[in-house]
Amino acid sequence: MSLLDDIEPMKQSALAELKAATDQAALEQAKGAWIGPHGKFTAFMKQLGSLPKEDRPAAGKLINSAKAELEAVLAAQRDQLELQAALPLEPTDFTLPGRRRPVGKLHPLTQVTDEIVRAFRKIGFAVADGPEIEDDYHCFDSLNTPADHPARDTQDTFYLAEATNGGPTGNAAGAGPARRAAGGGLLRTHTSSVQIRVMESQPPPVRIIAPGRVYRRDNADATHNPTFHQIEGLYVDKNVTASDLKGTVEFVFKELMGSDVQVRFRPHYFSYTEPSFEIDFSSALVKKMGKDWLELAGCGMVHPQVFENVGWDPEIWTGWAFGFGIERIAMIRFGITDIRLFYENDLRFLNQF
Amino acid sequence: MKVTYNWLKAYVDFSWSPEELTDRLTMLGLEVEGVQKLGGEFAGIVVAQVLSRDKHPNADKLSVCRVNDGQTERQIVCGAQNFQAGDKVPLIVPGASLPLKPGEKDPFTIKIGKIRGVESQGMMCSGRELGLSEDHEGLLLLRADARVGQPFAEYLGRPAGDVVYDLEITPNRPDLNSVIGIAREIAAATGHLLRLPELPAATGSAPAAAPSATESSLAVDIREPEWCGRYVARIVLGVQIGPSPDWLRATLEKVGVRSINNVVDATNYVMLESGQPLHAFDYHLLAKGPGGKPTVVVRRAAAGENFATLDGQSRTLTSEMLLIADETKGIALAGVMGGQNTEIQNSTKDVLIESAWFQPQNIRRTSKQLGLRSESSYRFERGADIEMADWASRRCAQLILETAGGSLLPGVVDVCPRPFTPRSIELRHSKVTALLGAEVPVERQIQILSSLGLAEDPANRTPQAARFSVPSWRVDLKREVDLIEEVARLDGVDRIPSSTPRGAIGVNAFDGVYDQIGEARRVLAALGLFEAQGQTLISEEAARIAVDSARLILLANPLSADMNALRPSLLPGLLDSLQHNLRRRNEAVALFEIGRVFLQSAEGRREERRLALALTGPRHPTFWAGENRDAKMDIYDLKGSLDEFLDQFGVRGVSYLRRPQPGNLLLESAAIQLGGRLELGELGQLQPALARRYDLRDPVFVAELNLDQLIARRNAGHSFKALPQFPGIRRDLAMLVNEEVAHAMVLQSVKQAKPANLEAVELFDVFRGKNVPAGQKSVAYAFTYRHAERTLTDAEVNAAHEKLVAHLREHLPAVIRES
Repeated sequence: MSLLDDIEPMKQSALAELKAATDQAALEQAKGAWIGPHGKFTAFMKQLGSLPKEDRPAAGKLINSAKAELEAVLAAQRDQLELQAALPLEPTDFTLPGRRRPVGKLHPLTQVTDEIVRAFRKIGFAVADGPEIEDDYHCFDSLNTPADHPARDTQDTFYLAEATNGGPTGNAAGAGPARRAAGGGLLRTHTSSVQIRVMESQPPPVRIIAPGRVYRRDNADATHNPTFHQIEGLYVDKNVTASDLKGTVEFVFKELMGSDVQVRFRPHYFSYTEPSFEIDFSSALVKKMGKDWLELAGCGMVHPQVFENVGWDPEIWTGWAFGFGIERIAMIRFGITDIRLFYENDLRFLNQF
Repeated sequence: MKVTYNWLKAYVDFSWSPEELTDRLTMLGLEVEGVQKLGGEFAGIVVAQVLSRDKHPNADKLSVCRVNDGQTERQIVCGAQNFQAGDKVPLIVPGASLPLKPGEKDPFTIKIGKIRGVESQGMMCSGRELGLSEDHEGLLLLRADARVGQPFAEYLGRPAGDVVYDLEITPNRPDLNSVIGIAREIAAATGHLLRLPELPAATGSAPAAAPSATESSLAVDIREPEWCGRYVARIVLGVQIGPSPDWLRATLEKVGVRSINNVVDATNYVMLESGQPLHAFDYHLLAKGPGGKPTVVVRRAAAGENFATLDGQSRTLTSEMLLIADETKGIALAGVMGGQNTEIQNSTKDVLIESAWFQPQNIRRTSKQLGLRSESSYRFERGADIEMADWASRRCAQLILETAGGSLLPGVVDVCPRPFTPRSIELRHSKVTALLGAEVPVERQIQILSSLGLAEDPANRTPQAARFSVPSWRVDLKREVDLIEEVARLDGVDRIPSSTPRGAIGVNAFDGVYDQIGEARRVLAALGLFEAQGQTLISEEAARIAVDSARLILLANPLSADMNALRPSLLPGLLDSLQHNLRRRNEAVALFEIGRVFLQSAEGRREERRLALALTGPRHPTFWAGENRDAKMDIYDLKGSLDEFLDQFGVRGVSYLRRPQPGNLLLESAAIQLGGRLELGELGQLQPALARRYDLRDPVFVAELNLDQLIARRNAGHSFKALPQFPGIRRDLAMLVNEEVAHAMVLQSVKQAKPANLEAVELFDVFRGKNVPAGQKSVAYAFTYRHAERTLTDAEVNAAHEKLVAHLREHLPAVIRES
């Protein structure tokens, strides 16, 4: 039976032609020549009706399987050619630098401030704020540092010149985002002034931290800049003790500097705390710097006179306060040796953090 | 305050090593800022005599010697050849170390050991081994008269070892500006007794009918008893001015005080020892009153009075300054510095010793006004011990007699208008625990305070409290809490336990603002801008590029003209940072800063939080292919960053109003407004002249906004809007409009036309040039129409769109370009 015998050779020829196609066009042409509507194989199938009835099922089966095979090969060949066509002419050099979508970075002082704030917030502190232009009362007098007090020696203060346009220099009561400074005007020498601002504006208990800029009349060098940042903490409640202060400070510095940190308190003097301490810390990092202890912060129990100045009864309320320099922490953390780098904003510096 | 280990040992026993003393002082609150070891480098090296020298049994070049070190005989194996029995040599004993050589880290320590089978109990040294010479040919042979057993340092004439401590004395503790004061702390900490030098019994202190010899030779008239609380005068006759003895000179020099002569050194020594500043006058240079008796007058200076101080400067005084005078002239600036006219000279025979107490505030003011500080003013302005004045005077007289000879005139003139009355403070024992969180037993509290010289009054003792009187030297102890601090300090601050954080939850209005500022920072950094922190203090000149002089706040006492104004804007600082970066070839610079600015206004001084951006240089990071890769940033890079920031931060309804004229700072600029009224800030391109001043070659784009307002006006809330379920239909429109027609006007016109179902308008092309008449531009917009509940039909969209097109054509007006 010639029809059936022709199936296999015809399929072989079709396969050969499909496989020989080297591009899509040749493949489509081969497809059309064989299994398209006018293709040889399609025409061949149409002759099926001319076969005797009893031969038709076997022939149909053979033809269908041959057609399925051709179509499978066609699909495979199509995928293959498509893949080849999609490949770039030259292979991609994956070692070439890509097109960057740069992100910016936060200033290292911001990063360190945020970390300190995060640590304190874990234990219930809220962030507070105060003006940078201060008056003598909030910066000194209310903090138990009267004008002739020797402690004022250690803080050289920038005072503001009188307004040149004869306008008033202040005392418009400042609420809201744009605050107004009162009095003669100086740049706060420490964030401790925020202690007073907070105690004047809200009743006890108080649990706040206040990061911000402070100013000292020091010439700029590797360890001084007339502008720098401090963070102040204040906790006032009933039954607050120096032991709480120690526990809190230890917690925060372990959060900031790593769990291997040891913290030491040492008696010191600040006019607005009594007793007063300096806080030293020690860690593998400090040892590497060739030191046993590194001074980090000052703190103490709020002086009863300070409570009396804001009208709080020191027999009922006790509290502690601390303050430390943010630049100093950042310098230790990152191994930065010159404070002025923070204010130059060199991208090669900013990019490192 | 500098003090030495050995000097302290003279007043109190303690067994702490010099290193331990450093720690102990630190933990008592006397921070040790520096430690300097003096001498002592030849510790363990003595003069020894070789008794015999024999050949080593197992080595040709070695010898075995018997050596006398002054205490015992030792066997030493030695390789040197240049000595014989009888010679005196330096011997280092086992356990001691050779001096460090340059570059050496650890010293070489001598041990007892066997050399070729023979034990050697030390080492005889060469000059080189001792760091004294380069000679290593043999042992250093000492003079024949050297005393066997003498420490080698002493043989060389070098001082014995001592340790100088440089202590930071906190301003509340004037009593610690003295060796005795520090020794007193050590005595309290160790429980040992404080040993003061013994003084001869005071002469003439017993009341007598007749005036003492001193009273016959001098009168003291205190005219300002407020400022001078006590004046003690003694006179030593017949001194011989000359150099100080070695011990005195050495003690002063160790702590950094220059030796002058025996009398002046004695006053300085006693000041360092007791904390009481003293002054010595040449008695005969004081003007004699009637009867040949001078009077020391303690008075105000006359306004404008000139006075030559010891340092050779002539100073003009005010009536607020206290002067020590005789009846005709000033002789010392009280408590600050003596006068040239009565200075001790080589010819001085009779010496008047002044030991006084001056009011701290007055001394401080005088010293500050004159810019003149001295060891004396330093101590008086912190508060001297009024009860110490007489002791120090007697001690000084004793030392003068010892070092300069002469005889002390019997008696004293001691005028004391401000007699000392001790303060009495009650300590409630429960308060100690309440404040410290540490239990300190009552007996311990009392014992600590007593050891510091506070006298407890047993009559006032109850189980709950004790009452103490405060000694004259502790001017810092004023109330109960001060006593609690003393208990904490002496009991050991390290004994206060740490307790876990507890207590109230913090509340403050600013807390949320802090987070909003942080959010602004994070959005800007995500946009590819780097955060800068500029100086608050800038030059007035730089500040004036941003605002008028009238709005500037200047410093009254600036450090320099570079830093004499408070920044009225963040932009001058950002320009400095751009300049800094470009000078270092960081070409693409995109910075932002969030910070405060300070402005003078009619209502007073104002602080305001601002946010500023500055961009310059290439738009993209360096890339190796592609068009436009060298493109520079332009105003729309800045505007785009700002648009995205405002969107992310939740500030809507911002409009930009172009300013018709260039300003001082900006070439072309726009005001940024909210709701058409509130001015939030500005943006624009920096004036080229200014850019040149800052060495900025590429165009610079800057913006500054009021962050307080942004925070107040933002709507940070997010609410979900269902995603569209039905397809949108887009219609594009290109049209020609006049140049004056701004994008905002097109949007406004679209809004007025109120096309049905219009969802979005997007500008996708602005074109000038071919086929566009001069003075016009071609703008192309995509309009998207969508209905929330069904699919729109073409007919519906066409109807709405045609209405819109007609409106634009008529009202902009616009010529529609056929596509």
